[in-house]
Amino acid sequence: MTITVQTKSGEFKFETDEEGTETLLFAGLGAGLTLPYECATGTCGTCRARVMSGDVEMAWPEAPGASRLSRGKGDVLLCQSHAKGDCLLRVPAEVIAGDAAAAPRRLSGRIEGMRKLTADVVDFEIALDSAMDFAAGQFMVVTSSAVTGGRSYSMVNYTPETDRIRFVVKRKPDGGFSNWLFEGAADGSEVSLFGPLGKATFRPGEDGDLVCITGGSGIAGIMSILDHATQDGHFKSNSGWLYFGVRTLADAFYVEELAELVEKSGGALQVILALSDEVASAPTHPEHPSIRLEEGFVHEVAARAMGEISGQLNDRTIGFVAGPPPMVDGAIRVLLSEAKLPPGRIRYDKFS
Amino acid sequence: MSWIKVCKTSEVPENSLKKIWAAGGVPILVAHYKGGFRALPPVCPHMEEPLEESGVIAGCVMTCTKHLWAWDLKTLEMQGETEKPLKTYETKIEGDDLMAFVEQELLYEFEDEDDMDDDSFFNS
Repeated sequence: MTITVQTKSGEFKFETDEEGTETLLFAGLGAGLTLPYECATGTCGTCRARVMSGDVEMAWPEAPGASRLSRGKGDVLLCQSHAKGDCLLRVPAEVIAGDAAAAPRRLSGRIEGMRKLTADVVDFEIALDSAMDFAAGQFMVVTSSAVTGGRSYSMVNYTPETDRIRFVVKRKPDGGFSNWLFEGAADGSEVSLFGPLGKATFRPGEDGDLVCITGGSGIAGIMSILDHATQDGHFKSNSGWLYFGVRTLADAFYVEELAELVEKSGGALQVILALSDEVASAPTHPEHPSIRLEEGFVHEVAARAMGEISGQLNDRTIGFVAGPPPMVDGAIRVLLSEAKLPPGRIRYDKFS
Repeated sequence: MSWIKVCKTSEVPENSLKKIWAAGGVPILVAHYKGGFRALPPVCPHMEEPLEESGVIAGCVMTCTKHLWAWDLKTLEMQGETEKPLKTYETKIEGDDLMAFVEQELLYEFEDEDDMDDDSFFNS
């Protein structure tokens, strides 16, 4: 099927599979078009398009991101839409035709090495059927035949051209996908993936101090960013601060890995665990004294620290934020008003 | 309408935003940036976020924390990836009072402005 898309920067065509199984967003991105998106899973509403002609079906019409659509005018979310035949779409954005060879694509893989990190957090690897390149901070949309719908997970590791990627997942009370992962039968299962996606990335060679604020499983992409920065020698000439929010010390994970990153940085990277539901019994982590402990919500802890730190930050400082929307909004506020970062130097990954 | 009193300048400290219901029931967001005031419609032109809550002013720049759209309040220049300009009411200060010139309520056209059925939209 041929999809024609009219954009603010001209008209493009791409092909999608004859059965229409791929979403229009993924088919277009896979063809190298820079279609607008943020979450790619129906929540944010960024991938809005209007169907001018042809038959398009929305798999999840009640998607939160669809609430602002002019449905009567034929508006759809590209991430939830499948073509039933050739169609003509309009996308209200500047789009360019990039290199299709470097575009995100569909991969398959197998879940391996499932580990329980805390009472409600697991991590595991995906053995991919072919190697993939990604930027630190990017994510994949993962689907399984066992569960309806796709979920976005950021890569934890950073390895160029790799066929092994690591994800970390926090169990959500009503999260179908996370419950499936926790029930134990998922290890060894085949999954389908699309990616890599996302622009909140660490760009190699980019100079500047790093201020990272995250909570819970938002640490995933930040681990990848800190891993890449460390491999790049970034902390030889720049400082880094990571504020990582968890409820209690028992909910903290990747502490050993973070302590290793602190050591490799020679102290240029500082890691602060913010405990929201527990009194910090000591100023540092009992087993890893290079990790500091503070009390409060992570954006509050970061706000208190920024008064002192903002004067030390260099003028190329980059802020990375990842987590649920209220935490991300609070952390962005801290980076703008306390750390004095210009909005263009803040990158965020908001999951809902 | 014409020049109306919005608030006392002391009601809105520097680096803050306050929504005020001005005479005639017009909602006005007062933004106090470094060196001046702006009187604006109270929502972000991107996705109608209430800027009194989502907005942050640092120096001369106001940013909506939801998607990082930002404007220099002094020059009204759009910052970074911001795609729509702010609408503003003309302001002046008389004594302690911030005044705004309100002919009619300024609204962003979220639907019609980028109506995709309009062919000229794609040639702009």
